[in-house]
Amino acid sequence: MNNSKSKSAFSDSGAQALVLIQNLNLQFAQKKVLNNLSWTIKRGENWLLGGTSGSGKTSLAKVIAGLSGTAEDVKIDFVKEGPLPAKVLFVESWYRFKNIEGLSNFYYQQRYTSLQANETITVDAELKHYGKENNLEAEGLEKLMEALNFSALKNSQLLELSSGEHKKLQLVKALWLKPQLLIIDQPYTGLDALSRRRLNSLLDDLSKRGGQFILICNDTELPESINCFAEIIDGQLKSSNAPEEISGASLRQSKSLPEFLRARPAYTSDEIVRMIDVNIIYGEKQVLKNINWKVKAGERWLLQGPNGSGKSTLLSLINGDHPQSYTNNFYLFGKKRGSGESIWDIKEHIGIISPEFHWYFDATSTVWQSIASGFYDSVGLYRQLPYSKTAKVNELIDFFELTGNKNDLLSTLPLGKQRLVLLARTIIKNPELLILDEPCQGLDQQQTVYFNQLVDELSVNGMTIIYVGHFASALPSCLEKRIVLNEGEVAAIETIQEDCLA
Amino acid sequence: MANYFNTLPLREQLNQLGVCEFMDNSEFSDGVNALKGKKIVIVGCGAQGLNQGLNLRDSGLDVSYTLRKEAIEQKRDSWKNATSNNFTVGTYEELLPTADLVINLTPDKQHTSVINAVMPLMKQGATLSYSHGFNIVEEGMQIRKDITVIMVAPKSPGSEVRSEYVRGFGVPTLIAVHPENDPEGKGLEWAKAYCVGTGGHRAGVLRSSFVAEVKSDLMGEQTILCGLLQTGSILSFDKMVEKGIDAGYASKLVQYGVEVITEALKHGGVSGMMDRLSNVAKIKAFEVSEELKDIMRPLFQKHQDDIMSGTFSRVMMEDWANGDANLLKWRAETGETAFEKTPAGDVKIGEQEYFDNYLLMVAFVRAGVELAFETMVEAGIKPESAYYESLHETPLIANTIARKKLFEMNRVISDTAEYGCYLFDQACKPLLADFMKKVDTDLVGKNFNEGKDGSVDNQQLVAINETLRNHEVEIVGTKLRKAMTAMKAIKTV
Repeated sequence: MNNSKSKSAFSDSGAQALVLIQNLNLQFAQKKVLNNLSWTIKRGENWLLGGTSGSGKTSLAKVIAGLSGTAEDVKIDFVKEGPLPAKVLFVESWYRFKNIEGLSNFYYQQRYTSLQANETITVDAELKHYGKENNLEAEGLEKLMEALNFSALKNSQLLELSSGEHKKLQLVKALWLKPQLLIIDQPYTGLDALSRRRLNSLLDDLSKRGGQFILICNDTELPESINCFAEIIDGQLKSSNAPEEISGASLRQSKSLPEFLRARPAYTSDEIVRMIDVNIIYGEKQVLKNINWKVKAGERWLLQGPNGSGKSTLLSLINGDHPQSYTNNFYLFGKKRGSGESIWDIKEHIGIISPEFHWYFDATSTVWQSIASGFYDSVGLYRQLPYSKTAKVNELIDFFELTGNKNDLLSTLPLGKQRLVLLARTIIKNPELLILDEPCQGLDQQQTVYFNQLVDELSVNGMTIIYVGHFASALPSCLEKRIVLNEGEVAAIETIQEDCLA
Repeated sequence: MANYFNTLPLREQLNQLGVCEFMDNSEFSDGVNALKGKKIVIVGCGAQGLNQGLNLRDSGLDVSYTLRKEAIEQKRDSWKNATSNNFTVGTYEELLPTADLVINLTPDKQHTSVINAVMPLMKQGATLSYSHGFNIVEEGMQIRKDITVIMVAPKSPGSEVRSEYVRGFGVPTLIAVHPENDPEGKGLEWAKAYCVGTGGHRAGVLRSSFVAEVKSDLMGEQTILCGLLQTGSILSFDKMVEKGIDAGYASKLVQYGVEVITEALKHGGVSGMMDRLSNVAKIKAFEVSEELKDIMRPLFQKHQDDIMSGTFSRVMMEDWANGDANLLKWRAETGETAFEKTPAGDVKIGEQEYFDNYLLMVAFVRAGVELAFETMVEAGIKPESAYYESLHETPLIANTIARKKLFEMNRVISDTAEYGCYLFDQACKPLLADFMKKVDTDLVGKNFNEGKDGSVDNQQLVAINETLRNHEVEIVGTKLRKAMTAMKAIKTV
């Protein structure tokens, strides 16, 4: 595109255009993602960018934010002397933080281990640094932190935050900066219901002050100030009148589960989990208080509680990942924890997925290797599979319609597909216990429905399930019991009634 | 105490230097059973101590920590590390008398005083483990004859030992039994079980001896690993500034370049690293590195000779006795170099650019790795041992330079390595003075390929490729790397 042409385009569409993109082409990993895409964002417009996983939404956002492509691709006409900084800020769906020495080599279990030499800085230090870098006034930050229920984490190290809390930190930064254009990729993932509503009103507030935003997601509870809707189809932008018109993934053919997943898992004990007055304390901070909980073989549990209530810590105890397991009194699969078993003896019984696990997963494995590694509970595959296991991997890949991707590196797939791969990895060994910690984060509506149906089918054969999910609309129907945590304590243990998920 | 190695007759020196066996997976089929139900007490709770302990406990073993009384009373970091992860912590008197396996993971320099305090409290027939043989081999520490003495040395930083374990893998590990202290013949079984407990058996285990470990470890760290990386970095930076390259750019190219370049080394050996260059650049890098090998060979040999004769450790221990006067002086001098004091500029350098614009470092790395390997093998060290102490560890050290330059490297490595590094650096710089006069920005600072049409002579290229690929470090490296294919990249950039 030459300059004279783009100038005239600005005057054609009037002075109200904030962003102008004409005939944008983009490739990712040698594949064409955007194909002559054009998009005009006028002043006052706030967009929802939806559509299927892998359609190019994130790639497009990165071009607008100047993180990829060239300056020629996008024209942005900021308000010159407005109160808001002339910036485009992109909040990624995955945020990679670094330690004090600039490394981002963390591992999944590390946040549970106490180490005196602090590896990462605190939330407070991070925010102070950010404020200084961007000349932000401290005023307003406190209120923002409170609105997103984030104040209590001020002195936490970055490493200690859950994925939902990291998301909030990025949102706090963005809303504190108040750029003229804010783009948020998957704004609601990992946020509890209250935080989602608060975020919406903060975005409405930004809009009132003259800021504009683009949300990339398929959610339906949106800020009131959203007034434009679009999706990317075949590399081009297609506007819609309402979010409901945006297409989801094409419906999958319903296939029956592979034979090896239609058998009841081989249970070694009728008792899966028994916790007796379990406590987890870091220094002064008590994360779990006197937890008593029993899970029997074949039960289907829903685990709920606000961000930071201790859900991940509770699950890390069950998965053998928590160093403080050894002085607590609990039983896994009928055996006392800390009675000479290894963590691999425990993990053998379990299939687990969580946003954090995904976060730290080895993105340099191929799809095939990632799924196969589920047999050994390892992150990355380092063994030769015997024939019987190879056949199962292939069968499951076919079932999830991933055959075309089986040799792709995990990191080159869109987030939704990556998640699907890790889900396949989770069930490959037909485990006794399936731990699904927000498994549908990052999946679109159709994928969520499809996945939850799958969970229902697995449960029919007697698999024990612990499921963490915030939204009633996105849960499998097989769940029968619920445990609710609040500030590290059991707030309720109950049988799920039709209406108790409202 | 007399230098243990020097007390041995030549045939026994050669015998111990030659212990080197890359162990088959099947040798670990007994898992951790040899240590099941045994009481393991770790002395020290720093990075290696804590992370190895976490792994051993997660493998179903009984682990506790013993610290000096002051560390416990003053609630030092080591005490907090252990207690906050729910380990039992006690004084030497409380825990050592019942321990079956005592693992010494304190810094090298403290070994003599630690062992003198620990040994009288150990019960009859217990086992003592080291992760480095300096105390036994160079200082000549004598251990009570009823005690079994073993070594289990993971070839990675402590944090890596943990992160590789929890992802279901491990780090390459060296194990050994001290022939003077294996009264019940159980040493090897225990070392194997301990190695399984840390996950090391999944990434390749080399059976070595205390002597082979010390003599190769000292050689590697003084020459290629720390010494040459320091010399090469300082000379490269100074050359660029002299030739008018922006100092910020030069600082960044040197700080991160060594990490990016050696990452290729880690995956594909010396030829893998050289293959990242264009054909013309590869030929040039080959020629430059041949010249460097000729210039530096006598210095590498001198270091190996001083290590074998015990001269190095004697001189260094004299400095210990002198309150580290030389070490501290040289450390301060390193902190004052222009490279150390110039922050990396805010410029973007692409991954390939680090190779194309820093040919000189590629040549330094090839020359250093091959020389260190060749010199060790000539001195009677087996190729597998020499590989671990040269090529394998280079990317790990380069990573510390990327973090915070030479200061960080010298902080992280042991005092022994640091002392040897300075010795090498001081001798190497004058040796390279004439060579450096000829170096221009095409070798460091600018893209070597610029202005060249890229054509090369077929026969010359084939001959060079053959020389690179048939070097013994490549042949043994290909075999050893296969065992650790699943190792993750550690990268700062």
